[in-house]
Amino acid sequence: MKTPYQILEAPEQASDAEIKQAYLQKVKQFPPDHHHEQFQQVQQAYEAIKDLESRTQYALFTVPEADFNGLLKQAFSSGPAPSISVEHFEKLLCASVDNKIFNIAASETVTAR
Amino acid sequence: MKKKKTPIKAKPNTSGGICDAAMAKAKLDAGQYKEAIELYKQLLKQADNKEWRSALALCYLKRAMSLAEKGMIKEAVVLWENYQQNAEPPYQGYDSYIGWLLQINNAAKVAACFGRLSAQQLDEHYPNLAALLGLLIVTEKPELEAMLPTDSQFITHLVSVRAALAAYRNNEPEAVEQALKQLPFRSAFRDFRTLLKAALLLPGSVEQAQALLTKIPVTSPYYQAGKLLLAATYDGLALIDELLQCEQKTRQLIGTIKKFSKKQLELLDMLVKQKDRLSDKIKFNCALQYRELFGEDLTKAYCLAALATYPAGQRDFNKHFGAMDEFEQCRLMALNYERNNDFHSSDYYWQQGISQLKKQGESGAFKIALIMRHIARHQPSPEEGVEWLVESLDYDPDSRETYLKILRHYEQEQEEKGLYKQWLDRGMKAFPQDVDLLAQAIKAATANKAFKKAAQYAKTLLKIDPVNTFAKQVLFTSHLAHARKLIKTKKFHLVEKEIQQAEKLTLGKRYQNQAQLLRGFFVMLAEDKKQGLQKIAEAAEKMNDGSACGYFCVVVEALLMGLSLSSVQKELPQPPKKYQLSEQEIGRLVQIVQQYYGDDKSNAAVLHQALEKIKVIIKQSIKQKTVSEQTLLTLAECLDNIGHYELLGHCAKIALIQWKKPIWLFYKFYAEVDGCAYQCSSFNIERLQFNYARARDDSDHRTAMRIKLFIDEYYEDQYPFGDEDFEDFDEDEEDDDFDPFTGGSPMDLFEHLPTAVFEKLQKKLQDIMKKSSPERVINTINKSLSKPIDVSFFMFKPDAFVALLMLQAAAELGIDTGVTGDQIIEFGEIEEDSKPPSFPFF
Repeated sequence: MKTPYQILEAPEQASDAEIKQAYLQKVKQFPPDHHHEQFQQVQQAYEAIKDLESRTQYALFTVPEADFNGLLKQAFSSGPAPSISVEHFEKLLCASVDNKIFNIAASETVTAR
Repeated sequence: MKKKKTPIKAKPNTSGGICDAAMAKAKLDAGQYKEAIELYKQLLKQADNKEWRSALALCYLKRAMSLAEKGMIKEAVVLWENYQQNAEPPYQGYDSYIGWLLQINNAAKVAACFGRLSAQQLDEHYPNLAALLGLLIVTEKPELEAMLPTDSQFITHLVSVRAALAAYRNNEPEAVEQALKQLPFRSAFRDFRTLLKAALLLPGSVEQAQALLTKIPVTSPYYQAGKLLLAATYDGLALIDELLQCEQKTRQLIGTIKKFSKKQLELLDMLVKQKDRLSDKIKFNCALQYRELFGEDLTKAYCLAALATYPAGQRDFNKHFGAMDEFEQCRLMALNYERNNDFHSSDYYWQQGISQLKKQGESGAFKIALIMRHIARHQPSPEEGVEWLVESLDYDPDSRETYLKILRHYEQEQEEKGLYKQWLDRGMKAFPQDVDLLAQAIKAATANKAFKKAAQYAKTLLKIDPVNTFAKQVLFTSHLAHARKLIKTKKFHLVEKEIQQAEKLTLGKRYQNQAQLLRGFFVMLAEDKKQGLQKIAEAAEKMNDGSACGYFCVVVEALLMGLSLSSVQKELPQPPKKYQLSEQEIGRLVQIVQQYYGDDKSNAAVLHQALEKIKVIIKQSIKQKTVSEQTLLTLAECLDNIGHYELLGHCAKIALIQWKKPIWLFYKFYAEVDGCAYQCSSFNIERLQFNYARARDDSDHRTAMRIKLFIDEYYEDQYPFGDEDFEDFDEDEEDDDFDPFTGGSPMDLFEHLPTAVFEKLQKKLQDIMKKSSPERVINTINKSLSKPIDVSFFMFKPDAFVALLMLQAAAELGIDTGVTGDQIIEFGEIEEDSKPPSFPFF
């Protein structure tokens, strides 16, 4: 679950003007006619942190979320996809060989004598 | 459990043979191949029947396939060979048979089979076998190549596959592409080609690679390789999901491909082991143990949040991240209690937090104010909430929202008019240009008949918001009220100006006509009687509400100005005696009555007088039974509001002929006694009790509550000591020895209150029920209960519900009854356990 700051991509120390600027950027990126859901998310995020009072309210009364999946995501976000060496490729082929592959479906054409 | 073998008797005669053949066929058709095989074998002992032998072969084949599916490969091989002995070539499932031989590593038989395999068979007849052989040759069994027909396409394609792999090894992507192009769509290496193409696309074109990999069918021997390569393209949670489904070996392979660190692999292993047992504690410890993977900030944020459900982790948290400041600790505790709806405990921690913030001086003031406003929302009574709101202004005096909330509270409290005025003055001083506060000020001034003041506020509001309809309406009402007052006091020289000012407010035709009507009166009294009367007549006609509504308005206006009706009535056309009000006109009449009543509650007497003049018309109109029930109900509610019981009774009488509903019976009895329950007969009360139950059955909660209150009021008068409530009213039941814990009503909890207080509470209670639906009342009541109730509570424990309403009334009046909501609930439960509710006529 992203925080309003993450949704608007604004730093937590941002001023009212900076937050508004970030909000307008996001609205441009997700206009309501084409990205209704994202727009609503952006709108709600802006409402939550648009001025000092709302930001303080957010900081005081938002129950922090214990997002274990978020931790795991972070731990296994390894950046760009790997390149596959021939050794890895061959190992992948070998990994495919298991008991299941031998039980092949009988072909419809039958000519064995 | 082993099945008992069915003894099969071979019958020597022909008829017996036919019988067994039928049975064998039935077993074959039913998929009971084992039994069918035995029967056919017996039959073939009797005679070498071609049909039976063919059926026996089929049984062997089917059973072989079935056992192979179950992983019993060796048994499948034997059964297929039995099939071959009993069947005529060409044999079915030959490719499957070879697959099984390869799986059990029966090299001799495999060689024998391959020796008999032609190039055409391999390339065209057995594509699945060819695909399997392709994968085995490039991985574990390269020796198979030598056994296959050299003139086959398969061997040609294998050369291209080897060339592609060699080029891939030498990092020559063009050469790989070139070699792969030699593999046609029908090649046994088709899926190999897809797999290698996808590998070539990485790491550059991940999406294209993923799209290719999803094309490898699940039946292909390359499917698993494709699935693993696809998993290697994933990241984050999707990757973890895939990895958790893999075996250790393949998980490690992907780990190697993804260049996972030792710590990442360790974490993966831990996740696999604890997959279904990830408790809060394990997660918390895992976060700390692998914090270098998660990042310091994220780990800290996670652990901080996790403390809410795993408070035992506090020590470890402090050890790793240092002790939290005291305010933060209080804040988290408060939020945690709030999450569990324990507002009593959360308030305690918020107050502890406030104490910490106070030490920070000015810098903590704003937070203190916000916390106090937050606490206010969860207070059991509005009064306590308002106390917090008031205190919050000491720390942040610029919160207009807080002023408005305080004002809205005192506005509802009839007993707190002084406080309301005081807070309105404070609010207006702090925010003199605020639209909402100005609207409050206008309402207050109008209610106090301070029209001049109301008009001033409305003017200020219109300067800020020139299209504010509310301000315009108020100003209009104010101007007209002032104009009436001037006419009444004969200060005619000021009237025209007042009417003109009202007319200037562009509110619509209806308002213009109303101003015009008043002008008519002014002209009639101050200038020219004839001309004035004409203007009145014109205005009444223009009102376009039908002659009865127009006439009604004229009468109301005349009465409001204290004029003699006779002079007006003589000169003005009156609606014909047999005039019929249309449904629309009735609706309009209700609007007019409500508008005058809303402008000033003391107009009720005038409205009664004016209604007298069109009473006959109203009665005969509704007598025609052409008015819808909804319109009639709206009219009845309006008449109930202004207390016109005669017409209300008439409405109810007519309605009852058409709709036999509890609300109409209630209105009938209610009107008969002019709303005084104590005057109602006991017989009618019993009928109302029955209809109360009916209303509850029909889920008409509003009606049920009206009836309930009326009946309660009756019993309160009849039995002022509260020892007999209608809910428990039963003529057969003796209730002399009253014991609050074995019988009685939760209302008895209030019996210590002085009668005057009790009556005050009951009056307030009725106001609450008139203004709000039961659902809304329940929502308000729930704020003061530790265990919330729902509508079913009202339905099944009406006594306890009324008692809760009494409590609500007391709270709104600021009376401390010494009774709590939880006590009432508890009482209600005891009552329910000890004595189920019973109703006469139920």
